[in-house]
Amino acid sequence: MKAHFPCVSASALMGAAVLAIGALAISPAVAQVKIGFQAPLTGPAATDGVSAKVASELAIERINAKGGILGQKAELVTYDDQAKTEDAVFTANKLVGQDGVKFAVSGSYSASGRAAAPIFQNAKVPFISAYGVHPDITRTGDYAFRTVHLGQPQGRAAAKFIGDNLGKKRISVISMDNDYGQATLEGFKSAVDQFGVKILGEYSYPLRDRQFGSIVASVKRDNPEAVYITGYFFTGGPLVTQLRAAGITVPIIGSQAFDAQKLIEIAGPAVEGVYIVGGLNRDPSNEELKTYLADFQKRAGYPGENVGATVYSAIVLMADAINRAGTLDPAKVRDALANTKDFPHLAGKLVSFNPLREINMPMNVNIVKDGQFRHFAWIDDLKLLAPPTE
Amino acid sequence: MYYVDLLLNGLIFGSMYALMAIGLTLVYGLLRILHISHAAVYALGAFITVIVANATGSIALGMLVAVVVSAIFGMGVYRVLYQPMLRYPPYVAMIASIGLLIFMEDAFRIIFGEQGLTFTRNPYPTQIHDLFGVTINTVQIAMIVLSTICLVALALFTTRTRMGIAWRATVSNPTIATSFGVDAIKVRYLNFMIGSALAALAGGLIALLNNFVEPTMGFVVSYKALAIIVLGGLGSMRGTLIAALALGLVESFGTIWVGSYLDRDALAFLFLIIVLMVRPQGLTGAHA
Repeated sequence: MKAHFPCVSASALMGAAVLAIGALAISPAVAQVKIGFQAPLTGPAATDGVSAKVASELAIERINAKGGILGQKAELVTYDDQAKTEDAVFTANKLVGQDGVKFAVSGSYSASGRAAAPIFQNAKVPFISAYGVHPDITRTGDYAFRTVHLGQPQGRAAAKFIGDNLGKKRISVISMDNDYGQATLEGFKSAVDQFGVKILGEYSYPLRDRQFGSIVASVKRDNPEAVYITGYFFTGGPLVTQLRAAGITVPIIGSQAFDAQKLIEIAGPAVEGVYIVGGLNRDPSNEELKTYLADFQKRAGYPGENVGATVYSAIVLMADAINRAGTLDPAKVRDALANTKDFPHLAGKLVSFNPLREINMPMNVNIVKDGQFRHFAWIDDLKLLAPPTE
Repeated sequence: MYYVDLLLNGLIFGSMYALMAIGLTLVYGLLRILHISHAAVYALGAFITVIVANATGSIALGMLVAVVVSAIFGMGVYRVLYQPMLRYPPYVAMIASIGLLIFMEDAFRIIFGEQGLTFTRNPYPTQIHDLFGVTINTVQIAMIVLSTICLVALALFTTRTRMGIAWRATVSNPTIATSFGVDAIKVRYLNFMIGSALAALAGGLIALLNNFVEPTMGFVVSYKALAIIVLGGLGSMRGTLIAALALGLVESFGTIWVGSYLDRDALAFLFLIIVLMVRPQGLTGAHA
């Protein structure tokens, strides 16, 4: 008897396998629309990458809660690009080749987003660079879109805000020496004359620097009416603290990437009264943003900021465009994306895409008050904010 | 006054580089290993300072715990990582050391989060004092005072105490020192203990100044400290001290004068290249 058991069990297994295969064949396919997603989940850019991932998951949940894409379930295929160009190229190829995604959203930094762009373009996969600001990303071709303001318009908005809204005319400028910092600075400098702003001193610092002693001493010597800074919250926090610690009390205006709760945590009372051009409008009337920020805090364990909000908006926009196209045909979805009108981006109303598939969108200005970001003004001169068209 | 301000800033940068680089040069002098993961000890010190300070409400206690734990950690690195590798060429240990630095950066990220940590209560960076017309904050004063105390104490220890003299003897010639009855193994532990404690102190002070610690904070100092010990003539404590202060000053003035062409990190290496072209043996010429 014993000797027969293996045979019995083997045939039973065979039977089970046949049944299983049969079941698979006859069960209705659960159709899913895959959206490829890559972000720097590990490595030096992981802070933003992880925020981007949490936001992407929230976006997919929201899309599915609202009926999915063309009645099918939306699904993310996520890869880590480690903020490295070679990894971004590899994962983009994997998304297109192995996973066969027809749509993609990039939660990557500029350099890796730029490296991956041609792969999506060549495969005719419509893709959105959520917050990568290198100008070449959209220049890759007609399938490349972007849902964040480029550095130049951010800088021009800051010039208007400082010269017009605040009426400060003599200022010192401190900029970060990477793509984002320099592009923003370029935009700023191109618009200062228009608003009667004079730059007294111009200083730059590397991304990894946190000790700004000599720059602070120089700003003090300039004795400006205001200080404009381009940088991220992790450079801005220590820099603002060090400026205030040196007894510099004039208004400080920071760039978009200051807009993270961690800025307030790092700089505490020193950051009170600092303005941020391009920050998220956390006005309580903005219901969708309020829900998003609450969900984000719950899932991530820390407050949400711009990076996540932009990634979230990019993915919701992609689903929206597919639904508007009414088909999964990438060419038609691309057209639908290009024809987007008045889309409710979490950062404001995305009025339209320009011919280079860059956004036309007003810019919010926040002020830090009582340890919170508060809406202060809108810069809604779309002509001033116009992104490049070629 | 502006130049006094820059000078003071340079000395403050330099004093922190010195605390960081002394440990590195001690290890190099003794074992001929480039102890890259020393930068991870510095970050570890910073993280422990913040965590203990936030838990107990005492920043001083935070720094004390950080110094003690990091000193033990440093000795552990020697015992676990370097000791088994001493029979291989030094680059083997150096590669392992780079590995440990990368491992620890990611470990900090996984354990403490991508966003880094801040002190819940830290009034010191914004407490301003007027020092003959120059504005200086409490943390910067602490940086100058503590680094001076530590370095003077270290100098006294190595020149005035039996143990310190034995230590220096071992660094310059382990074989002869051993034959005179010095316990070379004990000296190695002492080496890692003191070097790591100083790095942790630097980490804690920088954390206080920025009110911020982040997983990758050791990276920049890791290569700058390497530049400093090369400048200082590899293994020379006096040379390292001079090189650290010189680099601090070069960075402080360089940021303003050539900052728009070259960033601060690049300056360190430009300075290194220029010095090595003129003086291949380093600034002080020890260990030529």
